[in-house]
Amino acid sequence: MSQLALSRRSLLKSFGGLGVVGVSSGLFPLWMPKLVFSPRFQNDAPENHDVLVAIFQRGGMDGLNAVIPFGEGALYYDRRPNIAIPEPNGSDSSALNLNDHFGLHPALRPLKEVYDAGGLTVIHGAGSPDPTRSHFDAMEYMERGTPGDRSTSAGWINRHLMSAAWQNDSPFRAVGIGAMVQGSLRGQIPALALQSISNFHLQGREDQLAAIQNTIASLYGVAAPPDRLGAQASEVFDTMALVSRMSSLEYNPANGAVYPETDFGMALKQVAQLIKANVGLEVACVDIGGWDTHESQGQVDGEFASLLADFGQSLGAFYIDMQDDMSGVTVVTMSEFGRRVEENASGGTDHGHGNAMFVMGGGVSSGVFGRWTGLGDDVLDDGDVPVTTDYRDVLSEILLKRINNPALDQIFPNYQPNMLDILAAR
Amino acid sequence: MSVTRRDFLKLSGLAAAAASSSTWVSAVMAWQAEQPLDPIRHVLNRMTWGVMPADVSRIQEMGIEGYIDWQLGYEDIPDPVIDAWLEKYPFLNGTARDVYLAAHSDDRVYTVMPWDRIYRATYSERQLFELMVEFWTDHFNVPAGDALGEKVVDDREVIRRHALGKFRDLLFASAQSPAMLYYLNQAESVAEHPNENYAREVMELHTIGVDGGYTETDVREVARALTGWTVNYDSSGFYFDNSVHDAGEKTILGHYFPAGRGIEDGLAVLDILATHPSTARFVSRKLVRRFVSDTPPDSLVESAAFVFLTSEGDIRQVMRHILLSSDFMGAHGQKFRRPIDFMVAMLRALRPGLDLGDHGAWLVWMLEEMGQFPYAWHPPNGYPDAAGAWMNTNGLLNRWNLALLFPYASEGWWDEIQLDLNAVIPPASTAEHLVNASAEAILGGVDRLSLDDRRLLADFVTDGSNPGMEMTDDLRADKLPGLIGLLLAAPVFQWR
Repeated sequence: MSQLALSRRSLLKSFGGLGVVGVSSGLFPLWMPKLVFSPRFQNDAPENHDVLVAIFQRGGMDGLNAVIPFGEGALYYDRRPNIAIPEPNGSDSSALNLNDHFGLHPALRPLKEVYDAGGLTVIHGAGSPDPTRSHFDAMEYMERGTPGDRSTSAGWINRHLMSAAWQNDSPFRAVGIGAMVQGSLRGQIPALALQSISNFHLQGREDQLAAIQNTIASLYGVAAPPDRLGAQASEVFDTMALVSRMSSLEYNPANGAVYPETDFGMALKQVAQLIKANVGLEVACVDIGGWDTHESQGQVDGEFASLLADFGQSLGAFYIDMQDDMSGVTVVTMSEFGRRVEENASGGTDHGHGNAMFVMGGGVSSGVFGRWTGLGDDVLDDGDVPVTTDYRDVLSEILLKRINNPALDQIFPNYQPNMLDILAAR
Repeated sequence: MSVTRRDFLKLSGLAAAAASSSTWVSAVMAWQAEQPLDPIRHVLNRMTWGVMPADVSRIQEMGIEGYIDWQLGYEDIPDPVIDAWLEKYPFLNGTARDVYLAAHSDDRVYTVMPWDRIYRATYSERQLFELMVEFWTDHFNVPAGDALGEKVVDDREVIRRHALGKFRDLLFASAQSPAMLYYLNQAESVAEHPNENYAREVMELHTIGVDGGYTETDVREVARALTGWTVNYDSSGFYFDNSVHDAGEKTILGHYFPAGRGIEDGLAVLDILATHPSTARFVSRKLVRRFVSDTPPDSLVESAAFVFLTSEGDIRQVMRHILLSSDFMGAHGQKFRRPIDFMVAMLRALRPGLDLGDHGAWLVWMLEEMGQFPYAWHPPNGYPDAAGAWMNTNGLLNRWNLALLFPYASEGWWDEIQLDLNAVIPPASTAEHLVNASAEAILGGVDRLSLDDRRLLADFVTDGSNPGMEMTDDLRADKLPGLIGLLLAAPVFQWR
């Protein structure tokens, strides 16, 4: 029998996620033409739209301890005796002052630096108008873009891609980082689920790999996919081909940016890599979980602070890394709902309503925006921050001014956006 | 490389939760056979984790209905392989504290539980029971990351004890399981500040469903009713602490709860939920989705819900009804294998010897790559069921890689896996015969592949020469692992 090109040792190594058993890029031209890829990779997307990075904080971020309304005084502090963040006093154990009414949690210092540099917009009291306090309903509605209505067949980002006036067949057009594709990306336009760029290849015996790839491609009929599974298989092959052509899989962030070694940090690093590689990326979705802080969420330190540290350091690193390209990128964050104003008995917070969203990118000017109405008993929604800015108002403004897709009636059907006018047009 | 507690915590921090909703089902075209599948094969595809030759002989001998009843009566099926496995790890039969004590001296304890999932699914004779365990593990999801010891107990005393029993018993056991009490913060819920986490999910996910007819006020009232349901720190068991119970009057789902009661409040809530018609419908719909189709036929859901109600939630009777329905018999090829389903089907097709050696569980890590690390789904709704969540680029590439690498276990690549392909695939004289024999062994029939596909595979074996080419021992050894890998990676193997 023929020699194994790989030792067992190198194979084992690859299981640690190192992806040793690569396909040399020289391998692809041998079989690629057989797959009739000619109609693919057309991209006539105009240069005048931002790359959209949509971040979902799964679990319901406590917006009141991320962007602290210290200016509300006792209305905030008396309801959170154990977890409130002290008002700004210049120290690292107090809020970081934004505008003398709101401040960032001290764990968000990297975002404070972006704010000071003029690149971070905060919208408080934002969210989905549907009253559900169920994670799954709230996420689903938010990702469909049709609160209260499950009949829409796709996520809002997929509808954006479908209604855009341009064509782009790159497999990297819409990427969901992770093992699964996010709900907002699901729909007719194919979206890529991607865990790791450098591991995105077939593994196996090198001398048989080309034949194996050919055979799998034929078994799935990727040249003319007969069904949805075949279409997914076709995406896998397109992506492998493109990855193999990327000049280097080693990626060194620019400007000394250091991403934390977390799932979220690594995800944003890959998004930066894809944007810079110029492979047709238009939209990336990234998740960060763990926000369902029903217990012991902590105050200046603790569980919630660690979540924010990961969140802030990763976004801060992305901002530094993307510096030169940031004018063509819009990052927007959302979470299915905020949390109740009053803390619970477990030193945590239960499901609430209105929340804080962040927008980072080229069209942004720093500030805290929205239609904040305070925390008085008369304005609270059943004990929760009311949603005074529909999250679709923020997304609509991004789509219109930064992505240049005016088809808002298709992306958010039956909704008339009431934009805040906080972004500069491209 | 074994799994550590840290790994587990890291995994459970991930929460791509929204991917789960069944309403995201998009038009997924199921695999269609060129010829209708043998009904016996279909029943086995759905009632086992993957068809082994012994299953075929058994069902031929018993008949389909006899086989269903035999599997439903799982208590009477001897399971010596699993008994031997459990003897190796006594803490699996112990308390939460036993688990933590074992983990203190041996980090591999954190590998044992996910490995246990794979091992029992592969080798238990009680195949339908293991599928039910998987179903309820998702339904009453508790990630093991924060509470491995409690989850080991929950798996044994809640899920496995009642997997084919009465739903009411299952619900009550889960509500009093320390794993669940900790996970959904019920253990800290006190009258002064009730924690609503469990109160909401017990209605939304465990019983009546989000459209089952409850309001936000009901959530708050149920939370009040359950205050004081907690865990006794010393015994690690359920404990009702009357001193923190809210004994005021309440109204829940239209029922009046008088003031002055204690644990009865919570018990009454669970009773209302266990017998609620919405629960019968919600649970039946999920069972039909898992065992029949991603788009559950309403008529079957309704008739199963009727059986549920009239049998007082007897899961065995509901399952019997579903498995004997014409909808079930006609649903061949409509379920896309989830990553664990895929892996276990592969293992059952190849029947390797598996041993959790010192190098730990490569297979467990492959499940992480595919997005289904056992007991690590963090949100309370359990791993998604429908194809839409799993049929994606990442999942497909990773299962191809697993399919392509695993057959090399026959060359001794992994200490914990012993595989002899020659024991699975009989001798063949030509390339064509080898493809046919392999398709028969892996897929259960040559006709499950089209003629074109068989030709493609023969081409792989002969490097494109004559399919009638004689098989030498060298050629067989060189090509058989790749051929098996291709069969496992083929579209037909992704469906059941």
